[in-house]
Amino acid sequence: MATQRVLPQSKETLLQNYNKRLKDDIRSILDNFTEIIKTAKVEEETQVSRATQAEQDHYEMHVRAANIVRAGESLMKLVSDLKQFLILNDFPSVNEAISLRNQQLRTLQEECDKKLISLRDEIAIDLYELEEEYYSSSCGQWDGVELPLCEAFHRQDSWGSPEMTSDPSRANPEDSDNLGSQESMQRHLNSHGSSTNPPLEFHSAFDWTTSPLSFWQN
Amino acid sequence: MNAVFAMANDRLRALEDVEKEIALVLQSAGTIVLELSKEKANASLLDRQLNQFQTSINRVESELSAQIRYLTQVATGQPHEGSTYSARKDCQMALNRSEYARVKLGELGRTCEIMLDPQT
Repeated sequence: MATQRVLPQSKETLLQNYNKRLKDDIRSILDNFTEIIKTAKVEEETQVSRATQAEQDHYEMHVRAANIVRAGESLMKLVSDLKQFLILNDFPSVNEAISLRNQQLRTLQEECDKKLISLRDEIAIDLYELEEEYYSSSCGQWDGVELPLCEAFHRQDSWGSPEMTSDPSRANPEDSDNLGSQESMQRHLNSHGSSTNPPLEFHSAFDWTTSPLSFWQN
Repeated sequence: MNAVFAMANDRLRALEDVEKEIALVLQSAGTIVLELSKEKANASLLDRQLNQFQTSINRVESELSAQIRYLTQVATGQPHEGSTYSARKDCQMALNRSEYARVKLGELGRTCEIMLDPQT
């Protein structure tokens, strides 16, 4: 800070101008106020008649009062200019504000991501329990073959229609392929043996109202 | 949020106080002239107002000089190129992720409701 800084001419000129305006306005207020107080003194001897002198003093006081007000308004304008200059050129405070704002935003982002990750973990645990329940129930199976969840959901619509039976020969070959591809993925979740019971209604397999997911309904 | 701009706010707040001081200067000058216009002026009030006038005008001059001196030291003449855009963008994407998760879980909940409804 001891080294003399070389400012661009415009900035230096601007700051010098601010200084000059400050000095001029303060000087104007003080001088005009002093003159008003001096003029307020009643003199015994006047060069012109008392009425004329009074009228002259009255006019002079008006002008000086107006000068004081003008100088006050000029000072307010100077303060406004200084505020603007400060906002644009006070680099230390701008840097501080930017770094603090970045830190705030990063904290918020990390908090969001942390909550999303914990939510993901909780849902994964719930999903594991639901799959355990589903594959251990009879609706997760069709003629001894484990049904993936999506397949069971699609078949739920067809259980209600009369033409559909439990004949395994009527099984869709595409479904069998799907079963084969997903069977290895689902089998590790089901530790129980297969069942040949008729498939139950999907929604009654377990109680959805007590599912942890029900809190999202609120 | 206020704490973020505390440092900048200090100087701006000081300038706002200077504005109030300028108003006080004009007010005390007017009170003095008004008091002098009376037949019997209150001397103590005049003294108080005069002290107020002198104090305020000295404070205005010293504070504004200090601000101009500070600006002379820190002003570089170059535009500031700092930005919070990247942090804001990352935060916005995180909020979008949260919103997306909320929407998807809402859909899942509605699906569960539909399945639970015995009337459908």
